[in-house]
Amino acid sequence: MESDSPDRTPIPAALPCTEKAFVTEPELDRSKRDFLRAAGLLVAGSLLPQLKAQSQQEPLTVGSGHKVIVVLIGGVRRAETFSREGLANLPHLTGPLFGHCLFYPHTRNEGVTAHFNAISSVLTGNWQRVDDWGKLAPTTPTLFEQFRKDLRAGRSDTWMVASNKALTSQIGASSSPHFGPKYGANVVFPKQLMLMAVEEALRDGRTASMADRARVQTELQSALEGSNYEGLGWNVFDASDQLDPRVRGTIESAIAGFVHNDGPTSGDELTFFMTREIMRKFAPSVLTVVFSDVEAAHFGSYAMHLAGIRTVDRLCAQIWQEVEQNPSYRGQTTLLILPEFGRDPDGSSTNGFFNHRANEESTRDTWMLALGAAVDRPQVVERPIRHVDLCPTLAGLLGCKPVEMQGVRLPEFHA
Amino acid sequence: MEMNLPGDLPPQLQQAIGSGLLQRLPVTFQPFVHQQLSEWDFLFPNERRSVQRLLLYVNSLPPTQFNALFAPLLQLEDKMGVRTWQFSTTEQTILNASLLARSPYYQQWRQAVQNVFDASDAYALKTGASVARRRLVLLNIPAYLPVDKATAWTRWQGIGFVQPLDLSAAHASGTLAFLLFGEKAASPSLLQAAQQPDDHSPAQAWIIDAGDNLIRAALQDQAAAHSTSTPTLLGYKRLDTYRQNFSNEMNTMRRDLVDADSVYDRLRKVDVRPWCPPEASAPSIREFLRALYLSGNGAVIFGNSFVEWGASEALRRARPSLLTAQFDLRSKPKPFTGVAVFDNPDKVNPLPSVDDPQGSALDAQMLSLYIWLAALRFTEYQHDTVCICMAESIAEAYIVAPPQFSLQRNPRPLSIDTLRQQLKTWLA
Repeated sequence: MESDSPDRTPIPAALPCTEKAFVTEPELDRSKRDFLRAAGLLVAGSLLPQLKAQSQQEPLTVGSGHKVIVVLIGGVRRAETFSREGLANLPHLTGPLFGHCLFYPHTRNEGVTAHFNAISSVLTGNWQRVDDWGKLAPTTPTLFEQFRKDLRAGRSDTWMVASNKALTSQIGASSSPHFGPKYGANVVFPKQLMLMAVEEALRDGRTASMADRARVQTELQSALEGSNYEGLGWNVFDASDQLDPRVRGTIESAIAGFVHNDGPTSGDELTFFMTREIMRKFAPSVLTVVFSDVEAAHFGSYAMHLAGIRTVDRLCAQIWQEVEQNPSYRGQTTLLILPEFGRDPDGSSTNGFFNHRANEESTRDTWMLALGAAVDRPQVVERPIRHVDLCPTLAGLLGCKPVEMQGVRLPEFHA
Repeated sequence: MEMNLPGDLPPQLQQAIGSGLLQRLPVTFQPFVHQQLSEWDFLFPNERRSVQRLLLYVNSLPPTQFNALFAPLLQLEDKMGVRTWQFSTTEQTILNASLLARSPYYQQWRQAVQNVFDASDAYALKTGASVARRRLVLLNIPAYLPVDKATAWTRWQGIGFVQPLDLSAAHASGTLAFLLFGEKAASPSLLQAAQQPDDHSPAQAWIIDAGDNLIRAALQDQAAAHSTSTPTLLGYKRLDTYRQNFSNEMNTMRRDLVDADSVYDRLRKVDVRPWCPPEASAPSIREFLRALYLSGNGAVIFGNSFVEWGASEALRRARPSLLTAQFDLRSKPKPFTGVAVFDNPDKVNPLPSVDDPQGSALDAQMLSLYIWLAALRFTEYQHDTVCICMAESIAEAYIVAPPQFSLQRNPRPLSIDTLRQQLKTWLA
């Protein structure tokens, strides 16, 4: 079978590129052993039962004890990701990780293909059509609120860490009268901290600081301390003008890790370091991470867009590594990785990969990869799913009572 | 709403507007029309013809046909609840765009608007208001951008052919400059060949440069009076002052939409004349640049994006006979400024800039294709246009041409002199 025919997504070598890779469940059942062997899961013992066993040993905290992490990676097209040419940009996601995953090659955004609405649609299970710039909250309850209200979870159990400048803290809770901010998530925008530090250094004539890593750390911490932290657009533990000391320590650790890691220094890198520190310090049950280096595409650099994809591919693998190494997460966590939408097709009147507002398959038809506890067997599900299907699925894993929404639970996930 | 009409509107158009045409248009159609009319003095000849054609066409329709043409749009406006919106009918605003884009009917609305324009274009074709002529799109990826020979043209998907080039004759100013201005003084240049006898507007020929070599060569050529043609010249680096002032203003924008619109409003009115180099001082060009910078797409950030978006907008708005574009080198993002802060990284971080030839080459490869794809969206470029994209580092050109173009695939390297002659013959 041609793996790059228009309605087929090329499957990385970790999964067999045969009809079995695209199959439907009954066929997969018949060939499960071959499938798993090809996917590397029967090598050195079966990893899946091991993961399950570990999951059972972990103490349950709230609800089902299941933890969910949703990683949204901005707008990327199939052409640059799960296509024959694009696979090279995803060496981690299509490498060993892929053999363990549940992969939906057709995951559709059928709503507004702008950041705030796309992300809030994923989080609420309803297509949101609020202000694109985050002036208004989603109109129906987010997964954070459902989880916190239903299971009486604390605020520290729900976090969003986002690079994207188009978001505001309104993303953390809806305007629904029965839910709302008192059940909302902590929301932090690490890149905003970086921007503020740069702006302050520029304003105060200290730009030399940006050439020295130790001084960059000072600048970032100064930005954190010197300003009312709400200037960063964050919303953490409902603090009015001071960061909670627990959070401050977490952020400072993240900044130190980011500045001194001798690696890349993009906004997504800082978001990763913050995410990892939050996982280590608070171990939230519901964590959403939004990366956005790929959005360099808006400025027309294709090379930087591709670099953003490779960065997020690596950072997703590092988040999964943290899940596997962190006892609070190991064996009881499901990680979803998906783009918010694609990008516009080459030759479109909206300037192709620069933007994401065309009503085209290139913009709407994306993919999703799931790893972890709720994935009881790796498979590729060709059936198209929708972004709004994620919220009810995750709510089910967390043990929340069903709430009416446009999305439906995906049957391939098992708590 | 009463509006002040420019004095030099054609009488037919003044008459149509005077008869209340604008008030009969659907609410969401009005901002575009009002804005075009209010900016009449800054429109290119093609745009003036297009607006005039559209308005005279709809004004000529009997009431039943007029109603039928706009009925789908009006129905959609009802469903969208446009009358309850805070929607400007006098200009296109960010708030307008945001309100439209988040409506569930947005895509249908776009199609309905497009249908009106399509009907107008079809009418123009039928009545012979649209004239066919031969055109040329000439693109250059300079030698210092290393293009991979094996993959250089794969994105063009076989729509043309690869032609080896002999670049030995091109001098220091580069192949494209030599192609455009290397002609012996006695014979007409490629630019002159592109000049249409019935249209001497500078908008007929555009030279857009991500650096400044090509523009300087063009200015030298003009100064030496080798050429009587006056193309539109846009050089990213020569526009530093304009761009940086604009960029500073734009970066003061807050997320608040009202504020964004007020900043845009201010940017639409600010006097940009002191910021313009001489070659960009004509009202239509300085306003073209203002609109280009306001519409984003990286035009204030990267020279190569400026070239692509500038060329795309020039094709859309001016429909030139000759469009030439040259890409350039950009720097790598600096540490801790990177993707977060693009605005003048040299000001933010004192570390020396580091060139990114590989990344720049990849950008240029994609963006050169985008310029050609932008041209292909318009009827004028679909049949009688030759596109040549040169990659100097591999001494190759990719040529997309209609069958009547005399140059065919030849395994022997083609000299720039020969290429120039072929192109002049084509345009003549």
